[in-house]
Amino acid sequence: MVSLPHRMRKLQTRLLAIRLGSGAYILPKDINRIHMRFAPRIEGGHMGPRKFWHHELVRLKYHNPAISMTTDRTARAEDPAVLSVHFTSPTPTQSPDETTSGPAFADSTPAAAQPTERVSTIDMKHRTNAEILDELVRMTKAQAVEATEAEREELRSLEEQRVKGAKDSAKSLEVRARVAREKQLLEQARGELAADAV
Amino acid sequence: MAVPRYCPSCLSLAFATSTIFRAAPRRPALLPLPPPQNQQPIQLRPASTNALKYRRKDPAAAQRRKKARSTYLAPDLKNVVQFSLVDAMRYLRASEVGRPPTSSKYELDVRLRTAKNGAVVRNRLRLPHPVKTDLRICVIAPSDSPQGLAATAAGAAIVGEEEVFQAIRDETMKFDRCLCHTDSLPALTKANLGRMLGPKGLMPSVKTNTVVKDVAAAVREMAGASEYRERMGVVRMAIGQLGFTAEEVRRNIRAFVENVKRDMQGISDQTAKEMHEVVLSSTNGPGLSLNGTFGSADADLGDWSAAKA
Repeated sequence: MVSLPHRMRKLQTRLLAIRLGSGAYILPKDINRIHMRFAPRIEGGHMGPRKFWHHELVRLKYHNPAISMTTDRTARAEDPAVLSVHFTSPTPTQSPDETTSGPAFADSTPAAAQPTERVSTIDMKHRTNAEILDELVRMTKAQAVEATEAEREELRSLEEQRVKGAKDSAKSLEVRARVAREKQLLEQARGELAADAV
Repeated sequence: MAVPRYCPSCLSLAFATSTIFRAAPRRPALLPLPPPQNQQPIQLRPASTNALKYRRKDPAAAQRRKKARSTYLAPDLKNVVQFSLVDAMRYLRASEVGRPPTSSKYELDVRLRTAKNGAVVRNRLRLPHPVKTDLRICVIAPSDSPQGLAATAAGAAIVGEEEVFQAIRDETMKFDRCLCHTDSLPALTKANLGRMLGPKGLMPSVKTNTVVKDVAAAVREMAGASEYRERMGVVRMAIGQLGFTAEEVRRNIRAFVENVKRDMQGISDQTAKEMHEVVLSSTNGPGLSLNGTFGSADADLGDWSAAKA
């Protein structure tokens, strides 16, 4: 990042994109875990799950950081793509898992702090991420997150600055190109002068 | 949008009202030239040698000779949006959702206020919670002996004697390093595993310091110390895995920052260095400037930070 205002503008755009947008929902307290299983490549109808992971799941995670959200991308193209939501009864006090200092193994099965009572699944294959989100919201009765006035104002001003910046950038490119061309002509003239004088 | 004004001196349109775009510094007046569509080369009166001798030097060169900065830029932090550790981790965990918890790492960038040509900060540090722990270490010692238990506590992947020998022969065991307790060495040589472990470089031997008395310390040592160095005025180091809790990350950050401070004091007689900004980021996440506090500004989410992503 070159300058502080530029850096802050890019950062705020990114953070607002994480907070707001498609997938910004607060899930009810009785959800324990969300797990997605789909293929690493999109052939076979796995594009919807992948987009969901990159866009909607990010916002869901931001607004529900206590819910463990994992993915398993080891399915084959012909296997089903499944999103499973693990429900449990909400308890007033949750004892968090204490840490271990030993080596951590990468796996897709987290240690659940509470026993899972029921599991609901959504079939994601050949569906767009918007459809998957709709079904998830219907199933869990999630609450949408609305942008506050301050956030709307910020979004507006960032968009304005972006458009203005693009226009100014195009114009300044034009100006710079013209100055460079004139400089080139001057150099050429000076070069001829030196050649003539010799 | 203001009406653009035509500035005759620099033959360009001047924009006075744009806040983001600052016009380039006005160059000294260029000679009036014919429009660029003119295909013929420019014909000027041949000047005398005297004129050539006293001709004005290229104006751009005069501008180029301004002094380069001797310190790295340290912009004013009052315009920077800063976050507490928990708030920053919330954004980073969201950006990294669904990734394996040991593959994505948190990274800390400590920006220093320092001269460009001075001594640099360079050192090794063993973090309270090491980042790169995927080193699988196998320890040959009886699993119920005090040494064996200490080894498991220190983080060895596999500890044992006979069962380990059998697993190695069956090729069911996979590990990166192998240590052996001095008392178990005869059993190891008798098991004749040299043919399996030797070519892989995993056979414990006295020469490679892999036959040890204090196994726990050796396991800890092997897990390695992370190295850091200052590049272009910034010290960067991996400070945690995605699966770490906020407390662990906080301890690591504290250890790292204190170490850097100590290093800076150590070389303060050669170059003065000061910490300017601390930025936390992750493999797929944005870089968030930390304000030094831990707890979240938004209290109604409860204590999620102790959960392991």
